[in-house]
Amino acid sequence: MIHASALSKTFQVHKKSAGFAASFKSLFRREWLNKQALQNVSIDVEPGEIVGLVGANGAGKTTLVKILAGIIHPTSGEARVLGYKPFDRHNDFRRQISLIMGQKAQLWWDLPAEDCFLLLREIYQIPHPEYRRSLDYLIEAMGVKDQLNIQIRRLSLGERMKMELIAALLHKPRVVFLDEPTIGLDLSAQMAIRKFISDYRKENKPAMILTSHYMEDIEKLCKRIAIIKEGQIVYDGGLSKVIDKYATQKILSVAIDVEGQPMPSEKDLKLAHVQGVAIDGNIVKLNVERKNTTTVASSILKNFKIKDLSIEEEEIGNIIEALIRKDKK
Amino acid sequence: MIRYIRLYANFLRFSFSKAFEFRIDFYFRILMDIIYYAVNILFFKVIFLHSNILAGWTEAQVMVFVGAFIVIDALNMTVFANNFWAMPSLINKGNLDYYLLRPVSTLFFISFQDFAANSFVNLLIAGGILVWTMIQYPDPISILNLVLFLFLILNGTLLYAFVRLLFVLPVFWTHSSRGLDMMFWGFARFMERPHQIFYGAVRIILLTVLPFALMASLPTEVLFSSSPWPTVGYCVLLSCVFFISVLGLWRLGLRSYSSASS
Repeated sequence: MIHASALSKTFQVHKKSAGFAASFKSLFRREWLNKQALQNVSIDVEPGEIVGLVGANGAGKTTLVKILAGIIHPTSGEARVLGYKPFDRHNDFRRQISLIMGQKAQLWWDLPAEDCFLLLREIYQIPHPEYRRSLDYLIEAMGVKDQLNIQIRRLSLGERMKMELIAALLHKPRVVFLDEPTIGLDLSAQMAIRKFISDYRKENKPAMILTSHYMEDIEKLCKRIAIIKEGQIVYDGGLSKVIDKYATQKILSVAIDVEGQPMPSEKDLKLAHVQGVAIDGNIVKLNVERKNTTTVASSILKNFKIKDLSIEEEEIGNIIEALIRKDKK
Repeated sequence: MIRYIRLYANFLRFSFSKAFEFRIDFYFRILMDIIYYAVNILFFKVIFLHSNILAGWTEAQVMVFVGAFIVIDALNMTVFANNFWAMPSLINKGNLDYYLLRPVSTLFFISFQDFAANSFVNLLIAGGILVWTMIQYPDPISILNLVLFLFLILNGTLLYAFVRLLFVLPVFWTHSSRGLDMMFWGFARFMERPHQIFYGAVRIILLTVLPFALMASLPTEVLFSSSPWPTVGYCVLLSCVFFISVLGLWRLGLRSYSSASS
């Protein structure tokens, strides 16, 4: 349903040093830099699938989404969404897609939400009964019935984002791009939006690409992720497989028996192959090199009196964070 | 077509309810345009205190011309001005994104979405001024000439919008529209003068590449002409050329549109 092959995008940016002299010089002579936002990116997304696109700021997530939505033109490569070339912006294509950007409002600030929805009904030519059904379902799911007649500018950020989602889904798009839909929202609004997206996906089976800096969004909504770094996809696969492929550590969680003996110090616990120690009361968490987990566990059993010991996987969010930040491919 | 008319009806509805909310702005804009109309009428009245004829036109004819360009200005202020003012910011700040996603012509959407409801009152006043100047005209005017004149006023309004767009759209590349804006407003003053007062290259330019003479001056000439058709044909042809140029520039601009980082 979404297909991108070897997509690249280069932006030309004007480089200018600070200060008046540099500004004056730039009137006559300019230095241009080619900024490679995407390099040979290929990705496919099937109906009903949510792919989490993760990466640091400036990694190219939004550029990829905007190319797939037909907003910007790729420098090279091919994109097909629902069989259409996105940049052709065929009306039949645009009627079946939607893009929600957490940092950009699509609704008209001076209008109440319901008027905005009516305008969208006209734009998307949604037949009245279908519009009513769709709107009632979305209002119910988002719990915003009482805010429909309030001007968008007077809504809270969370309420506005819910209205943005309703606006984006009124026409039942088959492809949905969600670009940081929970950014800046409080925890309860984030949870409500996550639940809504999850329910919507189950019910309508659109192909979705979700970008977010909140790992919880990704963990709760996506079974598959694509990690994008400096314009290139460095990982595309199952979320759970990230652990197998990239986790370098395991966490040994140890409950020390302190009855009749003092609590061991951090220094005592820093055994060979232990890369980090965190102590909370009598609970100790040790970051251990993956391949030496059993060696460290037996050292712990031999050297300390313990109540309990368990081996846990590193948190997936931390692995992805590390992948995004470090030069690790 | 019907779809676009329905969409425009929605734009009108929302624009009126928005305008009524900002009362002070509503009154001030009416006052500002009335002053503009009065200044222009007085300017030519003063000229005719010293002369009976201006570039071959009598005072009554020049007053009809003034009525014509006032109507064109009011139509542009009402239908297009707010949209064209907002366009550079839409393009520069990446706010064109959502418009590009809608299954309607983006250029139509961003050119017509904001109807200046407060200027609509001025449009009625401008229309009244035009009717008044035509009633003052002493000689009979044929129905055909009148129809062609009114048609060319609408054509002139569109041509004005096309030329304005040609000065706005380079913002896709320049990222700042102020210089071109000032240039346009400088050139636009030529619409407010009968083209016969200019000679040589200036006149040729005003009849071709910067066709401000085709907006009010040639339509007024058609009203008093016994052979109006060649002028009508030329005006329509040039509007088509400018419309095609706008579409071409728009498409080129979209290819260069870089949006903005989110």
